[in-house]
Amino acid sequence: MMRFLKHRAAPNADWNQSLALGSLEYELMEILWERGECSVRDVVFKLSRTLAYTTVMTTLDRLFKKGLLDRHKSDRAFVYSPSFSRQEWERKRAGNLVAGFLSGPNTSRELLLSCLLDAVGEHDATLLDELEKKIRSRRKGLSRPGQP
Amino acid sequence: MILPYFLRLLCLCFASFFVLNASAGLLVCIASKSAFRFADSRTPSAAAGFLLVLRVLPLIIASFFVLGLCVPSYFSFEPALTAEHVSILCLVLGLLGALTWFLSIARIAHSLFASVRHNRLCQLASQEMRLSGRSSALLVVENETPLLALSGLLRPRLLVSRGVLRVLSAEELDAALSHEDAHRSSRDNAKRLLLLLAPDIFPFVRTHHALERGWSKFAEWAADDQAAAGDSRRALSLAAALVRVARLGSSPRLPYLSTSLLAGDRDLSARVDRLLQASPAAQATHARPPHPRPLFRAAGFLFVGGLTLLLFTPPALSFVHELLEHLLR
Repeated sequence: MMRFLKHRAAPNADWNQSLALGSLEYELMEILWERGECSVRDVVFKLSRTLAYTTVMTTLDRLFKKGLLDRHKSDRAFVYSPSFSRQEWERKRAGNLVAGFLSGPNTSRELLLSCLLDAVGEHDATLLDELEKKIRSRRKGLSRPGQP
Repeated sequence: MILPYFLRLLCLCFASFFVLNASAGLLVCIASKSAFRFADSRTPSAAAGFLLVLRVLPLIIASFFVLGLCVPSYFSFEPALTAEHVSILCLVLGLLGALTWFLSIARIAHSLFASVRHNRLCQLASQEMRLSGRSSALLVVENETPLLALSGLLRPRLLVSRGVLRVLSAEELDAALSHEDAHRSSRDNAKRLLLLLAPDIFPFVRTHHALERGWSKFAEWAADDQAAAGDSRRALSLAAALVRVARLGSSPRLPYLSTSLLAGDRDLSARVDRLLQASPAAQATHARPPHPRPLFRAAGFLFVGGLTLLLFTPPALSFVHELLEHLLR
């Protein structure tokens, strides 16, 4: 379901697109969230697979243009740092996703609300089962002779 | 700013109302934790009454001061038909007071309108049904929603959905309807109107929400106790009715001036546990409506009467007038 939601909400807004990450972008962001500040060379060394320096440089540049990274020059090379913490990024993504659904047509809104209600409903059903069990056991207790 | 006689009085009334309501409201907010502790130690109906009084106390104090002291002292001591300066502070406070009243009246008008509209729609889409042993008729709405509510202010009607009638047994339905009858006899919808009238400390800031929720919880508990009437089997039937109705889904959105069987779904578990655990004797005690002893009641009337007489003496009014002059300048 989450994959479906991601798929539906992503094309709605530019900001949403900038927050959506490809697999390499996500990998680079992971390194930067972990280390804080990195040059392109540092990121290349940290990667689990071998990638060309220019590929990493282009991807970091794209993340910078999306507004997800900040950068400054140090010894003629750029040093990149994340603009948001991972938590902030996740919160923004979730917020944009919901906002995208709510600003969309009625069907999108209803779909989102029904997903949320389903989740809440499952919890309620468990609670109601428990309460029903208590009522049954109390009823049994009352039907025993000598009970008020 | 120069204002004529009556406009100045109006500004003073609103300004003093705002200051007193805000100060008393702040004190109530500070005391609310202790108030909840005290309410927890009382029977639900007494606790509901206590929290309601606490919620409307700022309104009562401020209105009493304005109508009982501010207006008489102004007419007694202010030279007639003069135009005088009014400070910016007094003007701002007056505007805030007027806004506070405007919001309260708008809230009431909106809720009354919503309630009348809802009742009319329900009447159009429902059939009247009379159950044996019940004086009031039910309006049966043809849908499956978990609707069992008492809606309206002057002539509250019992609304029941076909779905609720289908899932409840005769005992459970009787217990559930008794719960709503208890709300009717304690005039809970009228009390809701009072809550709407009572302003918050500042306009647009909900400061007494916790008190209102507390009142609502205890009002439900009190209605549960009255419906159970100290009978364990009846309490069990009501608990079963609560769970069965909850199984039908989320409660439909009702106007503020109505009480429903499943009011505040989040309290459901606590309500069922109470109904299952409380002993009949304890519930019977809770079910009794609070009747203050005649001696206490007489003493209360004497105290309030004496205080009112004392406040209406010329020295008291003169003192109030001096205070108001300070506020004006």
